[in-house]
Amino acid sequence: MGFVGSLSTRALPALALGTFLIVAAHEARAQAKPTAIDIATIGEPGPLDPVTVTSDLVSIITQHVFETLYTFDSQWKAQPLLAAALPEITDGGKLYTITLRQGVHFQDGGTMAAVDVAASLQRWLKASPRGKLAAPSVDQVTAKDASTIEIKLKQPLAPLLALLALNNGAAAIMPKALTETTDPLKTYVGTGPYKIVEQKPDQYLRLVRFEQYSSPPGKPDGYAGERKALIDELRFVPVPNATTRVDGMLAAQYQFADSLPAEMAPRFKNTQDAQPVVVKPFGFPLMIFNQKTGPMTNVVLRQAAQAALAPEEMLLAAFGDPAFFAVEGSIYAKGTPFYDAASVKGYNQHDAKKAAALLKQAGYKGEPIRIMTSPQYDFLYKMSLVAQQNLQEAGFTVDLQVLDWATLLQKRGDDKAWEAFFTYHTFVPEPTLITIMNPSYPGWWNTPEKQAALSEFNTETDPAKRIEGWKKLQALFDTQVPAYKVGEFYNLAAINKKLTNYTPMPWPFFWNVKLGG
Amino acid sequence: MTAYIARRFAGMVVVMLLVAMIVFVIARVIPGDPAGVMLGSAATPDDVAALRHQLGLDRSLPTQFAIYLEQIASLDLGNSIFLNRPVLQAMGERAMLTTLLTLMAVGISVGIGVPVGILSAVKRGSVVDQAATAVSMLAASLPSFWVGLTLIEYLAVHAGWFPVAGYGDPGAGLADHLRHLVLPAIALGLPNSALLIRFTRTSMLDVLHEDYIRTARAKGLGARAVVFKHAFRNAMIPVLTVIGLTIATLIGGAIVTETVFGLPGIGNLIVSAVLRRDYPVIQGALLVVSGLYVLINLSVDLLYAAVDPRIRY
Amino acid sequence: MVVSLVVLVAIFGAALLAPWIAPYAPQKMSIAERLQPPSAHHWMGTDGFGRDVLTWVIFGARVSLAVGLMVVAVATVLGTAIGLVAGYVRRFDTPLMRLTDALMAFPDILLAIALLAGLGPSLFNVVLALGIVYTPRVARIVRGATLVLRELQFVEASEALGAADARIMLVHLLPNLISPLIVQASFIFAYSILTEAALSFLGAGVPPTTPTWGNMIAGAQQYMQQADWLILAPGLAIVLAVLSLQIVGDGLRDALDPKLRRLM
Repeated sequence: MGFVGSLSTRALPALALGTFLIVAAHEARAQAKPTAIDIATIGEPGPLDPVTVTSDLVSIITQHVFETLYTFDSQWKAQPLLAAALPEITDGGKLYTITLRQGVHFQDGGTMAAVDVAASLQRWLKASPRGKLAAPSVDQVTAKDASTIEIKLKQPLAPLLALLALNNGAAAIMPKALTETTDPLKTYVGTGPYKIVEQKPDQYLRLVRFEQYSSPPGKPDGYAGERKALIDELRFVPVPNATTRVDGMLAAQYQFADSLPAEMAPRFKNTQDAQPVVVKPFGFPLMIFNQKTGPMTNVVLRQAAQAALAPEEMLLAAFGDPAFFAVEGSIYAKGTPFYDAASVKGYNQHDAKKAAALLKQAGYKGEPIRIMTSPQYDFLYKMSLVAQQNLQEAGFTVDLQVLDWATLLQKRGDDKAWEAFFTYHTFVPEPTLITIMNPSYPGWWNTPEKQAALSEFNTETDPAKRIEGWKKLQALFDTQVPAYKVGEFYNLAAINKKLTNYTPMPWPFFWNVKLGG
Repeated sequence: MTAYIARRFAGMVVVMLLVAMIVFVIARVIPGDPAGVMLGSAATPDDVAALRHQLGLDRSLPTQFAIYLEQIASLDLGNSIFLNRPVLQAMGERAMLTTLLTLMAVGISVGIGVPVGILSAVKRGSVVDQAATAVSMLAASLPSFWVGLTLIEYLAVHAGWFPVAGYGDPGAGLADHLRHLVLPAIALGLPNSALLIRFTRTSMLDVLHEDYIRTARAKGLGARAVVFKHAFRNAMIPVLTVIGLTIATLIGGAIVTETVFGLPGIGNLIVSAVLRRDYPVIQGALLVVSGLYVLINLSVDLLYAAVDPRIRY
Repeated sequence: MVVSLVVLVAIFGAALLAPWIAPYAPQKMSIAERLQPPSAHHWMGTDGFGRDVLTWVIFGARVSLAVGLMVVAVATVLGTAIGLVAGYVRRFDTPLMRLTDALMAFPDILLAIALLAGLGPSLFNVVLALGIVYTPRVARIVRGATLVLRELQFVEASEALGAADARIMLVHLLPNLISPLIVQASFIFAYSILTEAALSFLGAGVPPTTPTWGNMIAGAQQYMQQADWLILAPGLAIVLAVLSLQIVGDGLRDALDPKLRRLM
């Protein structure tokens, strides 16, 4: 119980002063023993470049250090972060004029200027997988004056604002000097409320409060609004074993733990120290089919697989407790603007007979279907086992290839090595950001119908018309079956009860979070 | 003796060269891609290819091998692809933990193994002996990760006596670090103590049957004096060898234990390097660990030769 | 000794007859019946997919024993060949022994992980990797015994009569190596069951879709609180099998040759 002990000692001075002195205690904290929390993460993040690296873990950490021009509020609307206001969009959606906030400090002592922003955006267009999506539409990015940025487009690009706001493959702003290379960063200088002071791989990563931080104004709302670093130090501790993350929360060794197996939620019932946090929406598992090479290029075979799968069983095996998933075929879940259940008629059929008939129609002769999965993502592995059984019952010959994630990532780039693979996608507010919309993403959904619908969707700026455009895209998703959306799943995290004012979002953040009180 | 030592050193160099070759071959036939792991799920094959080029992973194997040998010769083990630092530095940061863990585990296995083994030999055939033999057999049959999981569940999560995992806060003192290593050291040392019990017992029994012990007994020396003055000292020579070899075995066992307890040591480094396809780390760590193993073996042999006059060079 | 022999025979029997005596098909899932505690229908309960645990333990015995036996076979054949040649043909002694030294310089599990990362996880590759890992042990013992044997009169006599090296090794030396080999085999058998389990636990072993005891423990870890039978059943199976093998190995060693100890 040593950890609980040391924690309460840290919190004790503030408590002892009583509620009426909290403000004073707050001021006095600079002299008091620094506060720190341990955040158990799924593993070692590696290079902490928010631009080139799109792993969720890097996004979670770097959002405390680097900031973007815009960010999302709790309703997933873009709000200004380093920008002073939402962009002024003119010339039929082809010219974005962005005014920057003044006097924003970089963590190396410099002050953010428009040239830094322009250079950062240019690096993002070249080096970020997200930026590369925008790059073909961008004509030029220029610093018009010290506090104004202009983005000129070749054609309207509706998702641009969302792309600029996303903190994954982020359009992060950094000093111009850091933007010279498109390789992953080696030094980390941002504008965020915390700065990186020490990275000991596989042991911890220390972030401390950035004292000269200049916060955006406004009431905190999602990622948007005012940001205050109330805890002196954040330590991200890699704990790859999920059971250990749970055990460490129960023993109050960590104050926050991310990505816990849903089946372990009941363990938090008997503890006073920690409580579970469910993040909705969070993400959706996908079974992606190879449409470039091999038997699955035949759309009828893909439709057969679509008919055979039993998503409810897959989700139950993967997550156990129905509180942590939803049987939902619409790529966007109920309650979000792009929700559209009517278009996904092929979802949740679990019809082995129909699948068998489709197999016959396609002239399938038992060619092995190589499905790649990885036990490093436990839920993907579990649902792939159920999928294997579903497909075999329908008459598919399945060769389930259980690989470690690194091998899967490499092999999926080789179109001759597989017929399907399992992965998952974190919730993104803008449909264009979903990986399978990118025709060069493995699976290679590149039909003329889809490309036409996508470009129509991307150039449409009227929100109502965009929803219609999305329905068209999702209907194509349903009939062409580039991938199978298994359902919605929610993330289980856990938080120590001494931490208050925490806002659950897909990428957990710790500004505005208090320790004690 | 000098000639013997020289011969052994020459042999060691040859062995290390062979080790380096094995290591390189193993590291390069591993499929999977560090670039893909680093870039995350939204990366396209083009992004990955670009990073591979930058990391030099697209060069020919002979070129890579030549670079590798050149580096070893200059004691440079290269840079970790994933950790953004030299391999030697990454290993250095973790060496302390694995050393402490191994030493504690050796302490536990020697602390249990040697006394119980001696007792067992002296009271040969008694209930104590049979119990010791049975327990040691059982201990040797337990999978160490299973022992570790059980210890965590009962002594850390339920009882709260020990931390669940990890190596303590940044800046934690040695005492705190050691506290984090208690359970892992038990999980690692316990199965190993079984080996030592059995070996000490056998060795003691062998010595107790030797002529000089019989002579000592015949001269009327007390049982205690015989056991400690004569038998113990001579029986300890082979036992020391086994302890030396044990250290080497424990370094291997640390891989599993560090994974179970989430300890950032050398073993953990190697396992994650394999998962991340961090070739320089895999190569460097394998090379250093096996080099250590060879060195320990060599010193055990030399010690043995120095202590036991019956060994011919 | 007798008890452990009986246990071993029972485990082998169960492994051989697995398809006939197992109550269910191993891959048969029944999501509705997941994580059920032991009952009349499922003597050892069900796992997270609603698969029968007893069935998995029985089929697991099959894989674990098969791995053990095949590793023993690989290591014995390779190790005996290397050890015999090294011990008998002087000019091969140094190179072969340096090679085994180099292989032995890697801790068992480390070499196995590295090899498996290269070969890819499959039953065959686990056997191959563990076979390579344990070959040097056999080779050393065989070489040691050969060095002793070749000084004996009957070997010298056949040499004097001009017998070919191969003939001497196979006809005169090999039969005398059988007892140390059998004893060593029982220990390697036991080690490979333990190491296979550890490899599966680390996710580097036999693919998790294959029923093995190690895979069962690895999969059961997250259910430790709700369903401890999942981790107990395969754990006990491992301990029983390894313990029996060790007792039998010890018994064999004492029975076959008391002097053998020195070689081990």
